[in-house]
Amino acid sequence: MFETSSESPAPVRLVTEAIKDYIDRLGPIWIEGEISELNERSGGMAFMRLRDTSVDMSISVMCYKTVLAAVAPLPANARVVIHAKPSWFTKNGSLTMSAKEIRQVGVGELLARLEELKNRLAAEGLFSEDRKVDLPLLPKKVGLICGRNTDAEKDVVENARRRWPAVLFEIREVAVQGAAAVVEVSQALRELEENADVDVIIITRGGGSFEDLLPFSDESLVRLAANCTTPIVSAIGHEKDSPLLDLVADYRASTPTDAAKNVVPDIAEEVEALQEIRDRMFRKVASIIELESARVLQLTQRPVLRDPLVLVTSREEILTNLKERSHRNFGHRIEVAQGELLQMGARVRSLSPQSTLDRGYSVVQLSDGSIVRDSKKVKKGDELRIRLAQGETGATVTQ
Amino acid sequence: MATEKKISYEGARDELAQVVQSLESGGATLEESLKLWERGEELAKICQEWLDGARQKLDSAKPAGK
Repeated sequence: MFETSSESPAPVRLVTEAIKDYIDRLGPIWIEGEISELNERSGGMAFMRLRDTSVDMSISVMCYKTVLAAVAPLPANARVVIHAKPSWFTKNGSLTMSAKEIRQVGVGELLARLEELKNRLAAEGLFSEDRKVDLPLLPKKVGLICGRNTDAEKDVVENARRRWPAVLFEIREVAVQGAAAVVEVSQALRELEENADVDVIIITRGGGSFEDLLPFSDESLVRLAANCTTPIVSAIGHEKDSPLLDLVADYRASTPTDAAKNVVPDIAEEVEALQEIRDRMFRKVASIIELESARVLQLTQRPVLRDPLVLVTSREEILTNLKERSHRNFGHRIEVAQGELLQMGARVRSLSPQSTLDRGYSVVQLSDGSIVRDSKKVKKGDELRIRLAQGETGATVTQ
Repeated sequence: MATEKKISYEGARDELAQVVQSLESGGATLEESLKLWERGEELAKICQEWLDGARQKLDSAKPAGK
């Protein structure tokens, strides 16, 4: 438009008027966003900011109050479509959209869009069951994303502490409605996801209007939640509300209290269950010991162990018995032998030549002891022994 | 006697049962019987020590108030 240099700079008025000239040539356009900071000053004009629904960007909008009156009353954080033309204010160098028409985006329209988004994400498999991960039994830390000083926060924290007094929280209090909600919740979610101590993240807010809950169906937030590796529990609004975050969360809690119940165990209950198991174990081991004691007692009470003397006495009995038998046996033999001996003596005596000798006969024997029965068997000079009834004498053959 | 701690409770108990059975059947010599009896006493003592130890452990680990 014009040449400038450090030696010949352009004055502000020239620049701003050039910008105005440029901007005035732009035509009106349709823009969608959320109304915030609505300011109906005295005079005929109203000022507001139109915020993007996903990211932290906004533009200022002004309009005649009559334009606003056409859609009054607008709910807080109303989703609107405006027909506006950019205007450059030369006095302070600001750009404002001058709205000629404001239309509220109807619930029906929003629902239709939500449905379309839901189908699209479902087709991508973002809601599928196999993407869901189990919640930890005992989280090191519980991440909690909630509004500032809200009942939802209290419900989660109090119920979790009641179940497990030692539970640790990493709490991010953020805007949970309005245009800033998506940005702040997303930021908090990223922080908690990166925190290694946070094992589970609860995103909660109480009930609200359909528009209030819209941030929790925002595509960018839903995708972010889907990509988190930390398990996410959503507890948004009431049972009937079903923001898309519920579908992508690993667990959908019906209320903040329900969320607390599912992220921490009831310690008293767990301790009781553990105690019960220990008691059963003790009873079982005690009964095994008793059973085994009885078995060992039964073995040690057997006579052979209780009274080991039977080992000796039983043998002693056998020995005594044997001795008696042996005695009896031996005595008998002696008697028999004695009888035999007497008999033999009688027989010996009956066969003795003594009686013959007594009658005067003698027995003549040679020196070798042989008995002389024939005179031819002796010769002169032989020595003879003569056995008499009483004693014996000797003789010599002379003829 | 108590030095033989390597033998398990079940090992000692089963052997004790065998010893008692051998003694009761009466097939052994006196010398063998005496050896068996001594072994039986030893095994009974080992069993008792195991059981006493187990009972003591159980008592000391028992939850308070039970």
